[in-house]
Amino acid sequence: MINKIKTLTGLSLLIGAVAACSNPTASTSDEATADPQKVLTIYSSRHYDSDKALYAMFEEETGARLDVREAGASQLLETMKAEGDQSPADVVIAADAGSLWRFKDAGLTQPLESEALEAAVPESYRAADSQWYGVARRIRGIAYDPNRWDAASLSTWDTLAQADKAGEICVRSSSNIYNLSLMGELIHRYGEESAQNWATAVVENMARNPQGGDTDQIRAIAAGECSIAIVNHYYWVRLGASESEADQQVAANTSFLIPEFVEGSGSHVNITGVAMTKTADDTELVEQFVAFLLTENGQFYITRDTKELPLLSTTPLPEGVDRLPTFAPSDTHLDVYGENQADAQRLFDLAGWN
Amino acid sequence: MPHANLFLRTIPPLLVVALVGLPVFVAVVTGLTAGDGATWDHILQNRLVPYTLTTLSVLLMTAIMILGLAVPAAWMITQYDFPGRGIFSWAMILPLAMPGYVMAYSWADLMGVAGPLQSWIRDVSGLSARDYWFPNLFSSVGLAFVLASTLFPYVYITARAAFAMQSRTSIEAARSLGARPIDLFWRVALPVALPTILGGLCLALMEAAADYGAADFLGIQTLGVGIIRSWQSFGEPNTAARLALALILIAGAFLIAARLFQGQRGTQQTSSRWQSQERSKLSPLTGIGVTALCSIILLICFAVPVLRLIWLALENRVSAADLGPLLRATLLLGAMGAAMAFLSAIIFSLSSKRSATLQLATRIIAAAGYAAPGAVLGLGALFIIRETGQALYGSVAIGFLVWIYVSRFTSAGVEPIQASLARLPKNLDLAAQSLGSTGLKQFLRVDLPLIAPGAFAAGLILFVEILKELPATLMLRPFGWDTLAVRAHAYATDERLAQATLPSLLIVLAGLAPVLLLSWRLGQTERT
Repeated sequence: MINKIKTLTGLSLLIGAVAACSNPTASTSDEATADPQKVLTIYSSRHYDSDKALYAMFEEETGARLDVREAGASQLLETMKAEGDQSPADVVIAADAGSLWRFKDAGLTQPLESEALEAAVPESYRAADSQWYGVARRIRGIAYDPNRWDAASLSTWDTLAQADKAGEICVRSSSNIYNLSLMGELIHRYGEESAQNWATAVVENMARNPQGGDTDQIRAIAAGECSIAIVNHYYWVRLGASESEADQQVAANTSFLIPEFVEGSGSHVNITGVAMTKTADDTELVEQFVAFLLTENGQFYITRDTKELPLLSTTPLPEGVDRLPTFAPSDTHLDVYGENQADAQRLFDLAGWN
Repeated sequence: MPHANLFLRTIPPLLVVALVGLPVFVAVVTGLTAGDGATWDHILQNRLVPYTLTTLSVLLMTAIMILGLAVPAAWMITQYDFPGRGIFSWAMILPLAMPGYVMAYSWADLMGVAGPLQSWIRDVSGLSARDYWFPNLFSSVGLAFVLASTLFPYVYITARAAFAMQSRTSIEAARSLGARPIDLFWRVALPVALPTILGGLCLALMEAAADYGAADFLGIQTLGVGIIRSWQSFGEPNTAARLALALILIAGAFLIAARLFQGQRGTQQTSSRWQSQERSKLSPLTGIGVTALCSIILLICFAVPVLRLIWLALENRVSAADLGPLLRATLLLGAMGAAMAFLSAIIFSLSSKRSATLQLATRIIAAAGYAAPGAVLGLGALFIIRETGQALYGSVAIGFLVWIYVSRFTSAGVEPIQASLARLPKNLDLAAQSLGSTGLKQFLRVDLPLIAPGAFAAGLILFVEILKELPATLMLRPFGWDTLAVRAHAYATDERLAQATLPSLLIVLAGLAPVLLLSWRLGQTERT
């Protein structure tokens, strides 16, 4: 028995020693460089293989090293709050304007003033005070069964509250950030009471309890459980570009449209964006990074796997995205999504939208 | 000497109590003192009761399903000979390697309206999805099923040990008095084994209460989901931490209830060995029936979901590139976390073994960590980091992460060890003391060998649990220390389930070795 204890103690010491001198993914940092290497630390709520390719290109181009921490936006936000002035973060990447607003609201970002960036990014896709910049666009829209509905009968978000849609709608749970942002814009346009009434009517029209992700809702249309699904455009596009034949069939049997709020109001658009953190000291390197995301190459890689829409109109659309109908963006400022987020969840709760 | 003894007996346990309890304590106190926001009013008025009722009903169903799976399986395997018994006896523990959220992904894919089963029904029958009834996994019952199928091995292990070590004489006496097998089970074996079984059930239910991944994916509004929602949707981590108190209270209530029950009916065995009884032969027909039953349990709780993941990975031609570093980080963190949590569980158990009150107190402190969602402990760690002016970097981050593992999982180690301790007869202690063996010496020469089987099980369970841990790892890991669970989660949240299959399968694979070791060791102990 004593031997066993010795073995155990030995083992734990060994583990400690291995842990102390190893970093499982020690990457580019091992390269011996004469100059002290510049390091850019990114807190990102995205995870795509094409992001890695993008980071590698930036490292090669500038000689800087990128440290990337990937986690949910809320977790990254709390981490930065906890780290305070000690935070190594230089850049935040978040896949929703509401999340970026939260970082700004918590005082964790600083303005990145740059004429070049302001010229590249249209005004509606960046913060007025330069606290964040959009780098790709994403649209929440409606996937539907074209045998059951024509696009005209679903042309505005209000149509989902109409009685003829009873038992036809599939949608994911209300705590999802894309639902919260959409509700945020509805609150902004119509006020809390009307927004809650809309949500209550949609709940009454649901074919089933909210569950799963956006892709599951589109599949449910193909399976016949419902005929309308509220989803982001890229999930529908990805099904069409999938390796699996069944998925391609799902995309072929469904259509996608981009509704407005009222005719001529424009459509609900969201972004993936970046912000410079309060603790960033090499602002030049940060600007270089954001500018890099807005080059042709940067735009190509940032949207290649995600099937988002590039922010620059000159960049060719990723494969499959050309199937989307054209749309005009709404003129609501994207900061509204973050400002209304807590109210949106509260109204969803009251409407019984799980 | 008495002073040194007193020191040894009080200081390390106090340190461990502080270590285990601090993150939960900091999180809850920060939550309670943060002041009420509009969110708290909303949750209190509109959500707290529904969240709590949903949680309790899911837990009740989970408990019934766990008992229904684990106790009959353990009874059959310890008492009867039937085809495949040898395989089932160890294979029943395999589902322990499966994280609950992975089980949810896999079964949701199989049972979903667009999944293979329902597609097949529609193809064959020509019906539409609205024309027929099909069991809905996206329901409270579905969640209970997913949780029970991954957690029942906890109860299987304890029930098997309890049945196997029952004094041969009482069962044989009952048999010779003509008791039918069914009476033997209900009137002799079960009442004696019940306290041990309930201990295992408590552990499983606390783990179920802390679940977030499976409940969120299935869309069930449990307290775990409500906690994360008040943090992420409402942007109020303080409210989340406050809400976690409800879960901790539920866990505390479980423990106290189990303790009261055990206090009434607990028995001490005069032998510490698990005496093997003669197993009865079953008639061929009954034997095949039992074999079929055990096969179905294993198919549903392990083989089918794992095979579905393999199928998805192959069908989508998922690439296995760069999983190596993830596996290494997972194993390293698992080993460090398990070693520290093990140590803390041993100190916890031994320091409290002479006082029932102390024992209950330490178990409740450990349980508070175990029943709190990992994300709440992660918040606790972040609050501490904020107060101490640290950055989540390098060894500091690893230190905090291992600390949270200890805080979260010590309970999973304490329970099996205390179950071993509870079986030791009191007179052993007295005998050891009368021979001059006290303190550390008694621990090394008397206690440790006796609790070795329980401690061994504890170590392996801790390792497997930490391999599967997601939320705290996601929040606290340093750069370059992504684990398999973190990667699987990243893919799954982006709805690329096919890509999530390989890291998920690797988690199961990494957990299999310790689980098999555990099975083998339990088999060994029973035979001696």
